[in-house]
Order: sequence, then C-alpha cells, then structure tokens
Amino acid sequence: MSFSHALILGLLPELMLAGAAALSVIVAVARPGLRPDIHRWIACIAIVGSLAACGLILLGLRGVRSGVAITVWNGGLSVDSFSVFIAILAGVTALTSCLISDTPVRRIPARSSAFYGLVLVATAAVDAIAAERDMVTFFITLALLLVCLVGIGALVKTDPRGAVSSFEHLIEGMIGTACVLYGLVLLYGVTGSTDLSVVVGSVHRAPGVVALSIALVLLGLCATLGVFPLRQWVGRIGTNVPAGAAGFIIAMSVIGGGAAIARVTVSGFGAGVRPWMWLVSIIATIALAHASLSALRESLVSRLLGQLVSAQAAMLLLGLLAFSTGSLDVPAYGMTAFLAGLGITAVATLAAYGVLAMIQGAGIEDGISDVRGLAHRSAPAALMLSVAVATLAGIPPLAGFLSRLLLVTSAADAGYGWLAIVASAATLLTIIAAARFIGLLYAEGGDGVPFTLGATPPVSRVVAGAACFAGLVLAVLIQPLLAVATAGAGPLR
Amino acid sequence: MNVILSSIIWTPLLFAVIALFLPERDEEQRGRVRTVALAGAGLSFFVTAFFAILGQIGLGQGGGLSSAYQESHAWFWTFLFHAYYDLTADGMTLPLLVVTTTVFGCAIFHSWKIHERVRLYVILILLLETAVNGVLCSADFVLFVAFWGLMLVPMYVLIRVWGGPGARRAAAWFAGFQALAFVMIVATVAIIIIEAGNQSSDMVQDLKTFSVPAETIGFWMSFAAFAIAMAIFPVHTWMVEAQSKASPGVAAILSGTMLLLGAYGMMRVSLVVFPVPAHYYSFAITGLAVVGAFWGSIGALRQDELRRFVAYMNVAQMSMVLLAIGAETSVALVGAILLLAAQGFASAMLTLISGAVEERTRTTSIRAMGGLVAQAPRLAGFWLFAALSVIGIPALAGFTADFMVFTGSFPEHRIATLLVMASVIITTGGLLWVANRVFFGPVREHLARVRDVTLLDLTVLIPLVGAVLLFGIRPGAIIPVISNGVLEITTRITGG
Repeated sequence: MSFSHALILGLLPELMLAGAAALSVIVAVARPGLRPDIHRWIACIAIVGSLAACGLILLGLRGVRSGVAITVWNGGLSVDSFSVFIAILAGVTALTSCLISDTPVRRIPARSSAFYGLVLVATAAVDAIAAERDMVTFFITLALLLVCLVGIGALVKTDPRGAVSSFEHLIEGMIGTACVLYGLVLLYGVTGSTDLSVVVGSVHRAPGVVALSIALVLLGLCATLGVFPLRQWVGRIGTNVPAGAAGFIIAMSVIGGGAAIARVTVSGFGAGVRPWMWLVSIIATIALAHASLSALRESLVSRLLGQLVSAQAAMLLLGLLAFSTGSLDVPAYGMTAFLAGLGITAVATLAAYGVLAMIQGAGIEDGISDVRGLAHRSAPAALMLSVAVATLAGIPPLAGFLSRLLLVTSAADAGYGWLAIVASAATLLTIIAAARFIGLLYAEGGDGVPFTLGATPPVSRVVAGAACFAGLVLAVLIQPLLAVATAGAGPLR
Repeated sequence: MNVILSSIIWTPLLFAVIALFLPERDEEQRGRVRTVALAGAGLSFFVTAFFAILGQIGLGQGGGLSSAYQESHAWFWTFLFHAYYDLTADGMTLPLLVVTTTVFGCAIFHSWKIHERVRLYVILILLLETAVNGVLCSADFVLFVAFWGLMLVPMYVLIRVWGGPGARRAAAWFAGFQALAFVMIVATVAIIIIEAGNQSSDMVQDLKTFSVPAETIGFWMSFAAFAIAMAIFPVHTWMVEAQSKASPGVAAILSGTMLLLGAYGMMRVSLVVFPVPAHYYSFAITGLAVVGAFWGSIGALRQDELRRFVAYMNVAQMSMVLLAIGAETSVALVGAILLLAAQGFASAMLTLISGAVEERTRTTSIRAMGGLVAQAPRLAGFWLFAALSVIGIPALAGFTADFMVFTGSFPEHRIATLLVMASVIITTGGLLWVANRVFFGPVREHLARVRDVTLLDLTVLIPLVGAVLLFGIRPGAIIPVISNGVLEITTRITGG
C-alpha cells in the first residue's frame, strides 16, 4: 500500500465526517425546501460510515504490536489504536445525539443542515485531537471543536439565555484555548520544536518555564474536559440549551478534553516530565471536591447533572496518573480505566440529558422541586432518570461505580493512595446528592398531573432509554469494554 | 451447573421486573402485585430453606462434612486484577440467608397493609432482598461492594417515602452513614486488592501478608464501615432514627437483615483478611462492646417511643455480637452467628409488633399505652415471645446463642464478658418493664377498643415465631454447619 493510500485510510473516518458535513451544507443550499430530516440521515450515514472505517483500521491493526497504524509528519499525526478508540467513542456519541436531538432541531428546520454539519465537524475534530502530537495542529483542532460546540449551542437556543450561555461558553473556552496556546508557545520556545514528545529532553534546561507551560496547557484543557476551574459553562449549557443538544455538547467536549489531555500528558510528556503528574493530581483533587460539593446544593436538575458529569470527568484524571507500572508490577492499567471511564461517562451523560430532554418535552420545568414525585406522573421517566443519575454518581451496581472503582484502584496502585481517598470521599458526596435526588423523584407528588413522553419522537425515546439501560449492561458486560480500552491504551503506555 | 445461589439472589429481582409491568389501579390489581412479589420472596426462601440449608444439615447428620455451595464465572480480567461472579454459601452464610429470606417474606406479607404505591414498595423490597442475599453470597470483593452499594438507594427511598413524620431526616441520616460505610468498604477493598498482590479480587484467595500500615489502616477502615452497618455505639444514631421513622415493614428489614450484614462483613472481611490487627486490637473491640451493651440497654430505658426502645435493644444485642468478634474463639463466633439469626428474627418481630401496637393505639409513646393485654392478648403474647427470645430463655433461639457467646468469650476477655452479661440484666429488665407498661396495668380509656392481631398479622408473625422456635429447639442441627463455616476464620486467626 502506498503512503497516500495509507494516509487516506488512516484519515478515512475524519474525511467521511467532513465530507458529509460539506454535502449536508451543499444540499441545504441547493435544495432549501427539502425535509430537515434528510440532514439527520446524511449525518447518521456518515457517522456509521466513519465507524465502519474505524473498523477497517482496527482490522489493519490486528497483529501490529505497537498499535500504531500510521505516523506521518514526523510523528505529528499518529493514527493508532488510541485514536481509533476515541474515534469510535465520538462516533457512537454523535450517532446517539443525532437520534436524540430530533426535538430541538425540529424547532429550527431551516438550520438543521448547519446543526448536523457542526455535529459532524465536531466529531471529526475530536477524532483529529486524539491523533495529534503536533502542537500547531493540536491547537487548531482544539479550537475547531470549541467553535463547533459553541455553534451548536447557539443554533438550537430557544431563548436569549441560550445565546448568552453559548457566548459564555465561547469566552470560557477561549480562555482555555488561550492558556493552551501560551503554554504550547512557551514549550516551543524551550524546545524549538512543535513535537510534544521532545519536551522531555528540555526539562533540565528550563524546568521553571516547562512547569509553567505545562500548568498553562493543563489549565486550558480543564475547560474542554469540563473540570474546575474552567467548568462554569457545563452548568450554563446544561440549563439554557435544550437538553438533547446540551448532552452532545458536554459529552463531546469531555471526550475531546479527555483525548487531548491524555495525548499531551501521557503520550507527549510521559514519565520523563514530572511536573504534569503533580499538577494533574492537584487539579483532580480540587476539581473532585468542587464538583462533588457543588452537587449537594444544586436546585436545578440540569445543573445537578452538570456537576455530576464534572465530578466524573475529574475522576478520569486519576487514570492518567496510573499510566506506568504500579506496585502490582503489571502493565499500567490506569489508561484502560481512563478510556473505559471516558466511554461510560459519555454514555451516562447522553442518557441523563436524553431523559431530561424528554421530560422538558413534556413541559416539566428544570427545578429539582419540579420533578418531585415524578414517579407518580411518569414512572418510566423517573426510572430512566434514576438510572442515568445513579450511573453518573457512581452508585452500584451500575457502570459508573465500576468505572470509579477501576480508576481509584489504579491510582492507589500507582502510589496515589491519598488521591484515591479524596476520590472516595468525593464519591461519597455524589452518592448522597444522587440518592437525595432519586428519593425526591419517588417522594409524594405535588399537584402535578400525570404525563406521557409522547411529545418526544419514538426513536429519541428508544435511544435515550437504551443509553440509560447501557449503564446497567456495561456493568455486567464490562469485560469487552475493558478489552477494547486496553487495546486503545496500548500506544500510550 | 449449580445455580442454587444465583436463584436465591436473582429470583426476587426477576419477580420485581415482572411486578414492574403490572398495573396497580385498583385494590385487586394491587393484590396481584403483592402476590407476585410474595412469589419472588417465597421462592427465594424456599430454595434457601429446602435446598441449601436442609441439604447441609442432612449432610452433617449423615456423618459427612458440609461443604460450601459455589458458583464462579469470570467477570472481567483485562485489568490490574481479575474479578469474578463468584458466589459461595458456607455454614456462616446459610443460617443468615434463612434469616434474610424469612424476614423479607414477612415484609412482603406486611405490604398488604400498604395501600399507596404498592408496586414501587414491593419492587424496592425485592431489589433490597437481591442486594442483601448477594452480599451474603459474594465471594469476590468487587461483587461484594457492588451488592452492598445496591442496598443504599432502595432503602433510602423506602424509609423516605413510606416513613412517618421525620422520615426525611431519618432517610438522610441513613444515606449519610451508609454512604460513608460503603466508601470505606470500597477503600478497604482497594487496599486488599493492591496489597495482597494476587491481581485478584477473590475473597477466598490465599492472601499474602500485608505491610503493617496497610494492614492496620485496612482493618480499622473495614471495622469502622461494618461498625456503622451494625449500628454499634457510637455510630448507632442512624439506625435509631431510621428504625423509629420508617414504616414497620421497612424497619423490620432494617433491624432484621441489614444489621446482621454489618456483623457478617466484620467477620468475613475484618477478621479473615486482617487477622493480626484484629487480634492485636481485640481488647479495644471488646471494650467498645461493653460500652455499647450498657449504652444500648440503659439508653433503651430512657426511650418513650416503642420503636426507639427496640432500636436501642438492637444496639445492645449487636454489642454482644461484637464481644464475640473481639473474643475470636470458634465457640463465640458460632454463638455470634446464632445470635445474629436470633436477633434478626426477634428484632423483626418486635418491630412489626411495635408497628401493630402503634397502628392500633395511634400513638408511639410508651407512656400513653397500657393495659393492652385485655383487648389484644395475642399481640401481647407475641411481644413477650419475642422479648423472651431476646432475653435468651431456653428453647428459644436466643438462649443457645447467648450461652455460646458468653462461654466462648469468657476465657479470652473475662471482665468484658461479665460486664456484658451484667448489661443483659438491664436489657431483661427493660423488656419486661416495657411489656408491663404497654400491655399490663390498668386499661387506658382511649385504648378500650383496641383490636387484637388480625389474620394478616398472624401471617406476618407466625413464620418468625416458627423460625425462633426451630433455631431454639434444634440448635444442634445447625451448629455443626455454622462451625464448619467459622473454621475458615479461626484458621486464619491462628495462622493455619
């Protein structure tokens, strides 16, 4: 196979997504009167195609011990099993979102091509982030992801607050990307190269500058991952953007942020650059404490979900720290826990916001007091919301609990016992917050009348229900996910 | 393929799923929901009683060694450690399974007194039964914590939704303490998996020697977690609140099954996995048992609410179990298992009768009651029966248990045993005093038309009476089975 063929095959998922986005826009321009549904199906077909392309790459990766399919531009772009794992995860998230977000898109039929186009480009951007090891292209894809997600939020807004929230998301995201940019610039100044992997050789030359630049990069990536200190947008988007779209924005940002932070720290800096490890542990500690404590005092369902997602995202950082061989003297499984946790977080986020979208569709307000006694009014809605929240909060025996257990165990094995204790304490808080919320759903009802979920299209209902159910299924059948995550983590070890 | 244990665990859940799809618009439909739930709990009890424990008893009486039932399937293995869907039920587990399945069956019977949101009520109880039986049968640490955590939300909702005034606060107490216990158990499991170095979460693995700090931290963390679950002094407040505010059926489950899980966990994890610190700190444990026994028995005397009184009695009873755990002798530990069974039955009975008394008198205050024996002699009889079992009268379940706990503990901790025995005098006095205040004496004017037990009450209470009698009259049949299960603990403690 020639180099150009290999490159095309390696980038096929991204090319398909970008091509479909362009096609959708062309169709919208050429035939503006077409049913808006057509764009959704173009997007779905493209995503399925990109997933098939990922399957092809995985087939090609069989027997490749390094797990790297192709590396071009002096290692700047590396299509390996990690990037394929992220691409599949992003693809599944995008596909689920396309099927769930029917209701908000129906309100903007003229802009549906733009919505699905942005979904496809955001997915392609996440795919690309996972494959980047070059500072310049890494920054560009990160900024592209932010613009797409902000655009989606702005497109589906139902009132001015949605536009304001998207603008605030943009500002917060730009602060984050600016931090990343300054950090990368400083690193370039020290190393003289845009390759992240050469930083290790320059630490001794300017340790202070390297530490500062790493701190800036990590701080910036917190915005994408949705963890403290740059995570205000998570709650705002969750509250002011229709839940169907908000789920996608938050889940895709967490996946993109997770992929980016793993690429920069584990793949880029590695074990040779120590400062990132203690910086990540500090960020994880503060982020876990902040999100978990905040979850206890939320009065809006959407914000509570946002806090739980943020806490779960902060928990993922524990996996990064356990990237090398630990006390058990077996290959590092921290990245396995990280990737499995990322997958579970994405599914649980989509499930939670998908159910919230259905509840919003039935005309229920967002206040936690508004869903009091929800089980009286719609038992299926209460059950699905309970499962989704329990998964996000880490309540056993759902997949969220197993994800947290694996992350905590791997961090403890890597010598971060104190962080494991912090994470356990944070889990205690999220469990209490979730138990209180679930108890409220089943408490005695107020004056609310029973409602059905009929306002939500059947496909959206089925997909959101399946996403909730996945929280349970993944707990029982976690081994396949772990096997895939282990393969995905291979190139990062 | 042996699926006895899986059927004991999952049958309630299966019937909960069936109940989920049943309508509950009128009383007839609600009755159908309850019947389905009863079938689930009943099947689980039937399998436990007739296949599991009778088989073991028969094996023991036939001269054979009773062996544990086991099931094992790999759960996940591409990680730092391997986890298994590994179930086992040895002599320690089987009697407790009889207790839990009986109490849950009675709680489902009791659901005929519930008329609001019956479907949700029975589904949560069946879910809770799955979790409780799962904890008892787990032979893998990850599975153990998964089942343990599964108990939190159903119990929280049961207390909060069907409880009386103040149930919300009681549920919050429950959630706070139990979540803390759960997190500490998870942390302990993480320590065990990492420090044991076997890359496995199997509970019956050959555990290597831990480093001293890890062993000490792991022991105290697990001890604290299970102490919370057992509701021993000073972490008993959640139980007192929950016991007094939850509906009687839920409170019976709480005192009859959930407390024994704490003691079971302490024996299964704190003693087996950390035998060295358990032995080293046994003096502190027995000291706590002495304080708890007095705190419980004296605290009970100060209560004016009937169910708070029962809750403090539970604290005293659990302190006796703690004494046996501190003593670490096989006789004491066998006695502790028997005591857990006896306490489970008797406490569930006392709770259910207290609920029945409160329902009839429309008051929770002991002071406001009196002379009920004239109108409700059978109710008084059931109360006295349960009280006598707690006291430890011969031919009832509590007698052999108390006897073995004290005789087993005395050689190791003489003064502590004597002090706990002295607290039993206060407990006895308290139980008789309350019986006198509630059932005897002059009839109160406003209680002149109190009904005696109904057929439903009898249906709920008679299985518990039967179990107390069976464990009391034929302890010899069950003791060899328990001894076999306790052998693992004593072997670990003696370093065998």
